[in-house]
Amino acid sequence: MSQTQTVLSVRGAQRRYVKKGQAALASADLDLHAGRITALLGPSGSGKSTLLRAIAGLERLDGGEIRLGDTVWSGHGAHIPPETRRVGMVFQDYALFPHLDALSNVAFGLKGKDAKDIAQAQLEAAELGHKAKAFPHELSGGEQQRVALARALAPSPAVVLLDEPFSGLDRRLRHELRDRTVQTLKAAGATAMIVTHDAEEAMAVADELALMDAGRVIQTGTPDEVWMRPVSAVAARLLGDVEIIESTVETGRADTPFGAVDAHGFDEGETVHALIRPQAFGLSLAEDGTFTITRRRSAGTHLVFEFAPAEGGDTHWHAHTASPSPLHEGDRVSVSLDPAYLSVVRR
Amino acid sequence: MTAGAHKGVWPDRATALAILAALVCAAPVFAVAWIALTGQSDDYLLHLARTRLPVYLIYSAYVGLVAAGGAALIGTGLGWLIARTEFPGRKLFSWVLILPLAVPAYVAAYAWLDLSQAGGPLHSWTGGLFPTVRGGWGSGLMFALVLYPYIFLLARDAFTGQSADAYNAARTLGAGPLSAFWRTSLPMARPALAAGVALVMMESLADYGTVSYLGAPTLSIGLIRAWSGAGSLVDAARLSLILVAIALVVFSLERMQRRRARTTAASGKHKPAPRLELTGWKAGLATLACLTPLALGLIIPLTRLAWLALNELPATGLVAATFHSLTLASISAVCAAILGMATAYALRGGRVMATVSARAAGLGYAVPGAVAAVGVIAILSGTQGLIDPAWQSLTGEVFPILLTGGAAALIFAYLSRFAAAAIGPSEAALGRVTPALDGAARTLGAGSRERLWRVHWPLIAAGVSSAGLLVFVEVLKELPATMILRPFNYDTLAIIAHNYAADERLGEAALPSLLIPLVALIPMIFVARYLSRTRTPSGTG
Repeated sequence: MSQTQTVLSVRGAQRRYVKKGQAALASADLDLHAGRITALLGPSGSGKSTLLRAIAGLERLDGGEIRLGDTVWSGHGAHIPPETRRVGMVFQDYALFPHLDALSNVAFGLKGKDAKDIAQAQLEAAELGHKAKAFPHELSGGEQQRVALARALAPSPAVVLLDEPFSGLDRRLRHELRDRTVQTLKAAGATAMIVTHDAEEAMAVADELALMDAGRVIQTGTPDEVWMRPVSAVAARLLGDVEIIESTVETGRADTPFGAVDAHGFDEGETVHALIRPQAFGLSLAEDGTFTITRRRSAGTHLVFEFAPAEGGDTHWHAHTASPSPLHEGDRVSVSLDPAYLSVVRR
Repeated sequence: MTAGAHKGVWPDRATALAILAALVCAAPVFAVAWIALTGQSDDYLLHLARTRLPVYLIYSAYVGLVAAGGAALIGTGLGWLIARTEFPGRKLFSWVLILPLAVPAYVAAYAWLDLSQAGGPLHSWTGGLFPTVRGGWGSGLMFALVLYPYIFLLARDAFTGQSADAYNAARTLGAGPLSAFWRTSLPMARPALAAGVALVMMESLADYGTVSYLGAPTLSIGLIRAWSGAGSLVDAARLSLILVAIALVVFSLERMQRRRARTTAASGKHKPAPRLELTGWKAGLATLACLTPLALGLIIPLTRLAWLALNELPATGLVAATFHSLTLASISAVCAAILGMATAYALRGGRVMATVSARAAGLGYAVPGAVAAVGVIAILSGTQGLIDPAWQSLTGEVFPILLTGGAAALIFAYLSRFAAAAIGPSEAALGRVTPALDGAARTLGAGSRERLWRVHWPLIAAGVSSAGLLVFVEVLKELPATMILRPFNYDTLAIIAHNYAADERLGEAALPSLLIPLVALIPMIFVARYLSRTRTPSGTG
């Protein structure tokens, strides 16, 4: 990412909750790049909302710093209040001002005589020009979200922050609005961060993906990179189903029940995790196969097979294969691995 | 669904009682209107219009605005402090701040005038710099000090219910803390604040004791003079009608604000706002802000009256007056609670008659006590006029005079004015009994009587009791209606206090004046604690 300009950087951000004493942010690092959308993905309680609120200036940092270019926003004893930070924020519940109509909501952050004109133009761009006089409760959920985005973008903020912006919408609308939001952000050339706990959503909107766990950003990169090369079991799990097999490195390879995989770059005797996506498994009918299909079900776009060692035992794994497939429950199979869907990490 | 789900829980008796409540509350108003529009009048009102009426109107507006402005300032500020910040003592203040409601404005006026007039301690300690509390601004100030809790309660709940995100959104859009409060939090609370302001204005317009003592001739003074001085029911009724008209204007303005309440409900999911932690000198300042109105409205006036009472001979007839006050207040409270609860049940049934009745009963709350009294007199004398000839021709004797019917007429007037105040809280309390609870009790084999006793009553008891106690306090404080309607030699604490104070015998007025808030404080503490545990219904009218 070195070729793109860093707009905002977070270094070692720490935030402890006063009451519970536990860390919401342990030591988080993150860069936002000009004109790019970063998706911050993490389970609930991972600190992603706290990080977003800290960037907005709604939370103070206990340590570390947040800077916009050369300007320190938070840290070193400084805390620039949210109103002078030039952030645009889309709240989870949109937080539209209920006493103001759509136009006045969008114009709220604008100053000067042409505030209403700019706001109107912003609404037109969101195809909501005809709803300018409507109050928030007269708008549908999707329209409210679009007004909230228009309001955040209107003052041309340096950074746009979106907190779970699609969580309040039903599934079909969510997909439509997701694409629309990305288009709008791109058209505005905005540097944006979208917080979400939905892996599919994160990969759909992101130019860059940042994974968060236990108050730290544990991996960043393009969605492809992060998905294909997770740095840890936790990172791999955040993005979807994965089989995790513990193994020891011997002569540059790590043994798994499905054969040894390449593990160069690790020390001899080191304990590693082989992370295998369900797509990595190739199952083929074999009389002398060492595995048995224990379950077969359809997931619409693909088939999910559950398979176990033929000699029995508690362990079993999951494989995703293209449908249709000639395999059935009870079939003996042999298993191969596609290295593209597989990586080895330190335990 | 609502109609069906609650059938069997005394629905028809409830509707009948609701209609009774509506009749009790609304009849005096209609009687007043009838007398005013049809009655024969000498030219008193015409004379009045040329001379005193403009003064009455100007003073009413002046007093009403000072009262509303002052109470809004105190109530909104404290409401925000309690709802959105945390400081030592906040929980205690959240209900203690309601207690000045127990002090009648005229009692505060007796104490403050005594403290601040020439020769009083405040006057001499400050070398005459402290202004004497009197006139229009003095009356308005007294109302603000004892009525601010109405606005405080509504403001506190409005600020508590607001989503923190609206305020935060304003901050990220470039508004500073003060500006964000001014442009988002305050306008979002406006409907609730308007309801409180309307209540304060109405209470100050309905008052007689304070304005007559401090010398601010408002409409209710004109009304009482028309009745007790000129003895003209028709003129009193016409002045009443003007008061009612003003009341209706105030309340329709409030309704217009309330209609926008829907627009001020938070959009999307609701996240409660975290409280701003105040420490050090800021916490001290917050405590001071809470203590100041308590001192001015409750502690200082009561201490002064206690001091005066200790230095004077007790007023005569005090025991009888205390007994009368308690009797009237208790009977009115119980009746109002029953009518209020019945109306709430009737409303739940969803019948049209019930809704109409509830709204008609609400009308009574907009009517000053003196007007209700005039209406009751009109009804009683009208009834007398109907019965007398028939009775005489049947028995040959004179029918007893209804107006001397005694305490019953007084209670009629009190209910007319205050029963509506019991409907809102009862309705809110009954809202906790959801159809699902009824259904659950039914599937567990509880019949209608059993459900009422084992499910409904435990859930609504505190709400209905606090509605009744609120009426108790109001009746204890009531002065103008009591003055007009009381039977001969039937004194209450308020009457004794007023009569002595009006005679400039404040020493003797002190003890009865002190007894009213002291007696009222006990139920008021219960009400205040109840209102702090649950959220208030947004207005009663």
